[in-house]
Amino acid sequence: MNAFSYVRPRTLSDGLRLLRSGASALAGGTDLLGLMKDGLARPELLVDLTGIEGLRGWSRAKGKGLRIGALTPLVELEEAEELHRAMPILRESLRDAATLQLRTMGTVGGNLLQRNRCWYFRDQATACWLKGGTKCFAVEGENRLHAILGAHECVAVAPSDLVPALIAYDAEIALASSRGRRTMKLADLYVAPHGRERREHVLRPGELITEVRVSESALARKGAFQKAMERKAWSFALVSVAAAARIERGVARDVRLVLGGVAPIPWRVVAAERGLEGSGFDEAACAEAADRALQGAAPLRDNGYKLPLARELVRRTLRSLVV
Amino acid sequence: MTRILKSIEEFEGEVSESLVIVDGHDLPPARHDGGSPEIGRSRRRIDATQRVTGRARYTQDLYLAGMLHARILRSPHARARVRRIDTKRAEALPGVRGVLHRFNTPKTPFRGDDVIFREEVRFVGEEVCAVAADDEDTAREALALIEVDYERLPHVVDLEEALGDVAPQLESDGNVSESGSHKRGDTKRALKEADVAVDVTYRTSTQLHNALETHGAVALYDGEMLTVWESTQHVFGVRTGLKNALKLPYSRIRVICDYMGGGFGAKNGVGKYTIVASLFAMRFGKAVRCVLTRDEENLAAGNRSATLQQLRLGAKGGRITAIEHTSWSNSGQGKWIANPTGPTNTLYEVANVNTRSYKVVTNAGSLSAFRAPGYVEGAFALESAIDELAEAAGVDPLTLRRRHAGAGKDPITGNRYSDKHLLECYRIGAKEIGWDRRRAGGTRGSAPHRRRGIGMASQIWGGGGGPPAYATVHVDPDGSVVLTAGTQDIGTGTRTVLAQICADELGVELDDVRVQIGDSAGPFGPMSAGSMTLASVGPAVRLAAHDAREQLLGAAAGVLETPKAELRLEAGAIVSKGARTPLGEVLGKVDNNTVIGKGIRFPNADDLAQKTFSAQFAEVEVDVRTGEIFVERIVAALDVGRIVNPLTAASQVEGGVIQGIGFALSEERIVDRALGRVMSGNLEGYKVPTVKDVPTIVVKFVDRPDRRANNLGAKGLGEPPIIPTAAAIANAVANATGARVRHSPLTRARVLEALALAGIRD
Repeated sequence: MNAFSYVRPRTLSDGLRLLRSGASALAGGTDLLGLMKDGLARPELLVDLTGIEGLRGWSRAKGKGLRIGALTPLVELEEAEELHRAMPILRESLRDAATLQLRTMGTVGGNLLQRNRCWYFRDQATACWLKGGTKCFAVEGENRLHAILGAHECVAVAPSDLVPALIAYDAEIALASSRGRRTMKLADLYVAPHGRERREHVLRPGELITEVRVSESALARKGAFQKAMERKAWSFALVSVAAAARIERGVARDVRLVLGGVAPIPWRVVAAERGLEGSGFDEAACAEAADRALQGAAPLRDNGYKLPLARELVRRTLRSLVV
Repeated sequence: MTRILKSIEEFEGEVSESLVIVDGHDLPPARHDGGSPEIGRSRRRIDATQRVTGRARYTQDLYLAGMLHARILRSPHARARVRRIDTKRAEALPGVRGVLHRFNTPKTPFRGDDVIFREEVRFVGEEVCAVAADDEDTAREALALIEVDYERLPHVVDLEEALGDVAPQLESDGNVSESGSHKRGDTKRALKEADVAVDVTYRTSTQLHNALETHGAVALYDGEMLTVWESTQHVFGVRTGLKNALKLPYSRIRVICDYMGGGFGAKNGVGKYTIVASLFAMRFGKAVRCVLTRDEENLAAGNRSATLQQLRLGAKGGRITAIEHTSWSNSGQGKWIANPTGPTNTLYEVANVNTRSYKVVTNAGSLSAFRAPGYVEGAFALESAIDELAEAAGVDPLTLRRRHAGAGKDPITGNRYSDKHLLECYRIGAKEIGWDRRRAGGTRGSAPHRRRGIGMASQIWGGGGGPPAYATVHVDPDGSVVLTAGTQDIGTGTRTVLAQICADELGVELDDVRVQIGDSAGPFGPMSAGSMTLASVGPAVRLAAHDAREQLLGAAAGVLETPKAELRLEAGAIVSKGARTPLGEVLGKVDNNTVIGKGIRFPNADDLAQKTFSAQFAEVEVDVRTGEIFVERIVAALDVGRIVNPLTAASQVEGGVIQGIGFALSEERIVDRALGRVMSGNLEGYKVPTVKDVPTIVVKFVDRPDRRANNLGAKGLGEPPIIPTAAAIANAVANATGARVRHSPLTRARVLEALALAGIRD
């Protein structure tokens, strides 16, 4: 690990001011410290955000939806009963994310911005394309964990379990920097690395996520989440599926279907959503949606198994909304 | 009278003969009437408090005053010639004390090479330089400043690629060499005459040990003695390795392993890190610490070889008539291989057997022994194939095995087994799992798309141990006891069971015995490997305790003025006609005298084969749409002779089963073929089982003393429980689904592919 300075501001404005070039924001540190130890991040200054008031915790004001502070530890979202009643998919998606220790340290904002787990990317000695090299080693290398959909130069997959669940509820994020504030849809935060964009998201330098918001109307949806792993715990998703819909008199509206672990970004499948709109989520409709979700899939040498796996998880997740 | 005797021992599947100096006579077999105060009793580990309170000192915990830190620069290339090394920038870094590499390091013989830094480095992770610095960060920083000029050479890392024609040939006689064969009967004819035959290919992936504590050593040189603390399974083996490398006499080397965080076979001898730490220690006259990181551990500290195995089996009239088994093992840069055909050669009484085992060299890290090396890989293939044959022949797989598992003789040497209760293991295990519930084709599972199945597999392994092994028992005047033995506790509970044996034979309380092991300053003992610790050292401890007791009773007879024959030593007191005098009180009369009992391990009978046997039964569910396997229950029924401590014994079995589950389902070293790099070299990528992956494990022991094996009647238990687990699970999966997965671990990809092939998934 390189030598660095450390500062723990008390206010957001101080924090934003300190986040100049060469500085990294530190929250739970569950990803950043690993990146630093592996020589993949070399910040000169760590701005520890955990002393900042007001970014931790969640609230739900009547009719105004849900607001989750970016510094809220994942375990709080998982354990809060009231939150579980309002949005059960949070607990469902977090239950198998990492370990309890990591969920206790890790924060919502950090989870949204965690870097991919590709073993070539994480290997300091490998100059992969995403790190400025000339090629993606996984394309012709060891790619059992890699993307089957939506990849360009880099075939790493979006690792978060929480993010597909939030996108299925049309979550928005509030962003702040020393230049001002803005909001965007969470889904728009992510980009599949390509061309000159050798990065996984569009956060600007010096910018922080301050809050995640879910609207009241989205909270009326029913949601479900499923994840396949290489063992029964502490494993990033081989495939994860988040689905949500408003079910009225047996008919589905506002259908959302988002996959994790299959593409460089959380993979929302609008075509499948449209096909399910107005359906009763019967077996045939769910099976068709599962096929649509995998349309255009281009498996690599070792990850073809993700197709049948994803197809079945999509079908099951969708069916679980009505049975 | 001192004399020389011959002994036959088995280590890791290899039988060898040795000569032993003995004196006096061995004890008759220990009684087994349930009346032993300690043997056969469950006892908490005597060092449990030290361990759980963090007071137990492991090698990695050792920070000595003024200690230097050594780190190793490793080859980034799978194969290259080291042409030039420039250390100027590294040596200019403040805090750097020195750099070792091939151009400045004296000849230091190491495992068949005469240097530790080779001119041609042959795998990613091979040692190129070592740096000693005042602190760890400086040492690491210095590594990045060393400039090495490599001439890259063509390489091959994959087993099957190395077997092919286009692969670079790494040795003058090619990449492949035969390492063993066995032939009895005529398999060709038997296969021709068989009613049914199966011809199947199995693969097992490379498994990494990933002991909690990585490899490492701390060396200290005071101008006279080299003292090395090392996380090792054999303090004497490290001593020998250092003697050969550094040309010091044994008397000037002391190796200590007080506590260690696991080894699983990868810590059986000296490491390059030991030699590096020692060379620096001797050069600077300071303590030097060299401990591997997890990444280094998974590159260069050993593994269980990947294998490719072909089996042809024939059956006639409901009996197995022929087995042909050819195996290729990826030894990496190792100089040997473990033998996957071992179980095929010896487990079943089959008339026609023909096996061959080949070593394949590649540009990958060397194999090292890994908990039943060869037999885990071999049992996966053999025991899967037996089930495939049973299915083809329409015979229940357990019934088929029963027909061949009763033999009383080792089929290779013709020697009788000292004891064998494999059929009893089958009976116990089948009853416990409910084998009669098993249905061909499996049964319905607990959720939609889930199938349920039961499978089993059996095991043969050594575990008889043997000489030389020594112990002494010192009884101090206060009646407290120090047991010194040539061994180390690698996490199995050795300290505890040796204390039990000593207390039992001597007639003192367990708490009165302090155990002094893990120190080459004491008497010699074997490596804690090959399931031989207890069966080797235990009988010596019993003899030493017996010797001490006889002396104590003699002393007590004199002090109490009572005939020795009327005295007993029980629970730390001399008992005479109902009167109890505490040992300390008796010895108080002869204060400052020390009673020293001495024990050795007598030879094994040279006309017997000491083996361990067991069977495991697995019950699983399989989701046939997602390929997910749920192991619900493992029943292990074992014949390992007498059980000294049922608690630590069960813990050994559970550990073996869990590691077997890892081998079966999730543990896999993944190497990029072009780069030669291990991609899954950390605990994220390399998936050892978590608590949630562990099923109910039922442990049953036959628990009959093997009276012909040694005076304790106990055999080894470290390795038997990992051998049959993967095959039992694969057989249960096949029973549940009809799909046969022939490659361990049974990952999603492999299970889904097998299900698709069997036409089951949709």
